[in-house]
Amino acid sequence: MTPLSESLLESVAAAAVREGLADAIFTRLSSPIGRLLVVQGPEGLVRIAFPEEAEDHVLAEVAGALGPNVIGSDRELAGERDALSEYLEGDATVLDLPVDLRLAHAPFRRAVLEQLREVPRGETVSYGQLAARAGNPKASRAVGTACARNPVPIVVPCHRVLPSTGKLGNYAGGPERKQTLLTLEGVRTP
Amino acid sequence: MNVLPPFWTLVETHGDELLVHARRLAGDDAEDVLQDALLRALRAYPKLRHADHLRAWLYRVTTSAAMDHHRSRKREVVTDDPPAPATFDAYDDGAFESLIEPLNETARTALRLRFVDDLDYEGIATELGCSTVAARQRVSTAVRTLRETFA
Repeated sequence: MTPLSESLLESVAAAAVREGLADAIFTRLSSPIGRLLVVQGPEGLVRIAFPEEAEDHVLAEVAGALGPNVIGSDRELAGERDALSEYLEGDATVLDLPVDLRLAHAPFRRAVLEQLREVPRGETVSYGQLAARAGNPKASRAVGTACARNPVPIVVPCHRVLPSTGKLGNYAGGPERKQTLLTLEGVRTP
Repeated sequence: MNVLPPFWTLVETHGDELLVHARRLAGDDAEDVLQDALLRALRAYPKLRHADHLRAWLYRVTTSAAMDHHRSRKREVVTDDPPAPATFDAYDDGAFESLIEPLNETARTALRLRFVDDLDYEGIATELGCSTVAARQRVSTAVRTLRETFA
């Protein structure tokens, strides 16, 4: 039995995108920080998941929010794949991909992530500072939650948020990945 | 209401067996048929009202795509070229295909739906766009013709 070929699946994906049938497109990307599941919606990246998250669960979440026609294709996301790879391998210093934050449900969380997008590469911000920028200086714990549930890590750089104690702090993808991402940007970490 | 799973999860779970199914019905054209079937399925998927029997549904969509493929090919062969030889023999059910070869295409399709796809008469009726009674008749006529052929 010959299994389904990659090229057949890519043809289906290409035709589906051409016909406007795809609600979201995903790709699996091997990177220096592990295999990432990258999901693109009509307006930008909606989700990046680290390998610890169950893929079925992530894709079901996307299907629930954007529609059931979730399609896999490396080719349709070639641009996003290249941009992420180059950034994570240290070959590029900018990672400027459109992001769609519709999976961050609470308005304050979305405000936090939007502020976070403005923190440039190589710089960091404290939870308190970010809370103030998002309009509520006392909400540093809510900022912690917003970061922990960031649907598009790496591109929305929640790894640049550090506790004011000067320690590394938490990261949804684990402290090692946070360290790696910050080191890549030339930030000295504790 | 139950939620439809992401379409690609279905493709990755059932894709291989759907290709086998397409190959039974369309031989060397299986990949074209399956590609067409998956696109048809994508067009219809968001409109499904429930998430039950999705595997069976994908089989039905693939069967329809294969039948339309046969029809369009039949139209094509009204040219100078002789009809392309059946390619089923290369597969594990070649015996079945050579058994039903003496029959016309309608009868062969009915028998494939009954004995290869294992559909009930209601399912066959849906595929053929006829009544359940007519589906039963087509299958039994085909079986009778076969008996007489090999008698």
